[in-house]
Amino acid sequence: MSTTPRSFRRITTVATTFLAIGSVIAMTGCATSADPESAENVTITFSSYNYGTAGAAGDGTQALLDRFAELHPEITVVPEAVPVADVLTKTKTAVAADIAPDVVQLGYSKLAEALETLPIQSIEDAAGDEWADHVEGINPALVKTGTSDGTVKALPYTVSIPTVFYNADLFRAAGLDPDAPPTSIEEVSEAAAAITATGAYGAYFGIVDSGKSDYVTQSVINSSGGAIVDAEGEVTLDSPEAIAGLQAVQDLTTEGLQPAVSVDDAVAAFSSGTLGMLIMTTAVLGSINTAAEGNFELRTGAFPSFNDDDARPTHSGASLVILSDDEAKQHASWELVKFLTSKEGYTMITEQIGYLPLRADLATDPEYLAGYFEENQLLLPPLEQLETLAPYLSFPGPKANQATVLLQDNAVSPIVLRDADVKTTLTETADRIRELVG
Amino acid sequence: MTSLLTPTPTRGVATSGSPRRGARAWPYLTPVLALLLVWVYGPALFTGVLSFLEWNLTGAPGGFVGLDNYARLFREPEFGQAAGQTLLYAAALLPFSTIIPMFLAIMLWQRPGRASTVYRSLLFLPVMVAPVAVAVSWRFILNPLQGLANETIALVGLPPMNWLGDPASALIVIVIVTSAKVTAFNMLLYSAALSTLDRRTLEAARLERASAWETTRFVVIPQLNRTTVLLGLLSIVLAGQWVFTNVSVLTQGGPDGVTDNVYYRIYTLGFEFFETGMASAAAAIVLLFFGIASLGWVFLRRSRARG
Repeated sequence: MSTTPRSFRRITTVATTFLAIGSVIAMTGCATSADPESAENVTITFSSYNYGTAGAAGDGTQALLDRFAELHPEITVVPEAVPVADVLTKTKTAVAADIAPDVVQLGYSKLAEALETLPIQSIEDAAGDEWADHVEGINPALVKTGTSDGTVKALPYTVSIPTVFYNADLFRAAGLDPDAPPTSIEEVSEAAAAITATGAYGAYFGIVDSGKSDYVTQSVINSSGGAIVDAEGEVTLDSPEAIAGLQAVQDLTTEGLQPAVSVDDAVAAFSSGTLGMLIMTTAVLGSINTAAEGNFELRTGAFPSFNDDDARPTHSGASLVILSDDEAKQHASWELVKFLTSKEGYTMITEQIGYLPLRADLATDPEYLAGYFEENQLLLPPLEQLETLAPYLSFPGPKANQATVLLQDNAVSPIVLRDADVKTTLTETADRIRELVG
Repeated sequence: MTSLLTPTPTRGVATSGSPRRGARAWPYLTPVLALLLVWVYGPALFTGVLSFLEWNLTGAPGGFVGLDNYARLFREPEFGQAAGQTLLYAAALLPFSTIIPMFLAIMLWQRPGRASTVYRSLLFLPVMVAPVAVAVSWRFILNPLQGLANETIALVGLPPMNWLGDPASALIVIVIVTSAKVTAFNMLLYSAALSTLDRRTLEAARLERASAWETTRFVVIPQLNRTTVLLGLLSIVLAGQWVFTNVSVLTQGGPDGVTDNVYYRIYTLGFEFFETGMASAAAAIVLLFFGIASLGWVFLRRSRARG
């Protein structure tokens, strides 16, 4: 069959049309894919366990993101809500699926394993020339906790330390002086006995944490003169000091001064005014304060000592890490981290969520939190202890989180709630953790 | 004369077992076989391979470790305990998936009418509610300090109980919470089975002036045997999976591992500890166990049939 001039023209017309359509599609495609990556308009994802939650934490996080959007209209932050206990799990699976979030709010109990197993970028490198000025004033112990391989990979974001929340009305009813809260474990025990005698529940250490964090466990062991690991990374949670610390907490339960219930149940009891003392993170201050309004007088005291030395609580809470290795997204991620850990960011976090300010000068600076602390005394006791904070310790190696869960589930929970023998249980668990982490 | 029960050969259709019929079946079977391969046998095979590797899910799979994952699994006390608890769940849920729903279905079947329909709807309600919402509601009810359950037993002078925190009661609570949904669903299946009863046998029992109990005992229940066996087997195989949501929300396997089971342990190993090799080894063991049990069941039935 021969090709006529007419059919040739038809073929040419069709080919030209396809070429034109193809070019338009290609150009549109290029424009679409290039847009988010450009320096002018970048979209990043932020995985946060506070975002989307009901109450002060969720509202405060939204306020932070709204303020960041005002300051940086060129950066779009897409927040992703994640349950606190699932942060590491979700992040790992997201990394495996190649849909990792760019910035993650990561709990300190999960940080060691995350640093070993996730592609966490150096914030120091992402910040470049801005680093030295920005990091000045941030609590150095917390910055050190986020350091790995000689560079800072995690900056403190929402940090709290365990404190004694107490019901001043129950103190008065028990004949106790609410102006003199207990400062040692013996005084906690005496106060709890007096409160229990009135028919209320005495005290509760939030040591069996629902998120499987061991920050109260470490605070108790540190304050007893021990540590879960020593300077060389050897597991020492079966030391005499650790045994003594957990024995003291168990004694509260066996003497009927501490209800053997879960943390959630204890928080509910305290919020309803039937528990005298609750020793746990200041992160719950916002919700407890709301529950106490018009119900009972809420006060706070410093974490109690467990021997003749001062108490040495460690912190809970979360840091910020950057996962993105894309240059434009990494820069945008740094801008977000920079704002969230700036004076303005930390001020908003304290005022609106209730976490501790992580720049020492903010609490006395009239431009930031001086006025807030004049009106809000509840955070002052933990704020004072922030200066002598013990660093949060992690078990060594990539199975640090598994070891922490083992400590909490196999040792702390049976010891404190179910009267397990302290020495035997800690020794057995320590041996298993040694085998696990190598 | 051709019997009505004798099938008439259709023109053009190959007889059973001929190569032509086999060739014609493949186009129909291929999509299903492909889906089974992709979603069932492929992952099962992949799981088997993973059980011999060291892998934390995020990086590239590590090296071949032989039977190390299996050895570690058997060394840790949690897996053995979880396996034992799985059998306990299967035994404890068996009456809730057979006897009780059968009893409820027969009661409703014997009294047809509007009241029966209302009761059936109410009993079926737990199946319709989201499992996590149910579990969270139970958490409030079972709160040991302020929960409705303790307030209720206090009315009759009983001391408060730590329902989910006491190893003596936690497993029973999980079974009861789970049983509401299992019983409701199986009641519906029994109702369906009751609608297919042979009416002639029921009529014969009526003519023989059999009592309601005698009709139920000697006519109805024997005809429900196949349904009971099926639901009983499903209960044994799936009990551990049915309790998963309640364990996850209410106890996370505690206290002291008494509410754990192999499925929750596999989840914990795989997606909380990222011990992918160990989780795969545990899954392979579960598959092997139920595979052997199923073969044994088939063998037993065939032996009985021959006997």
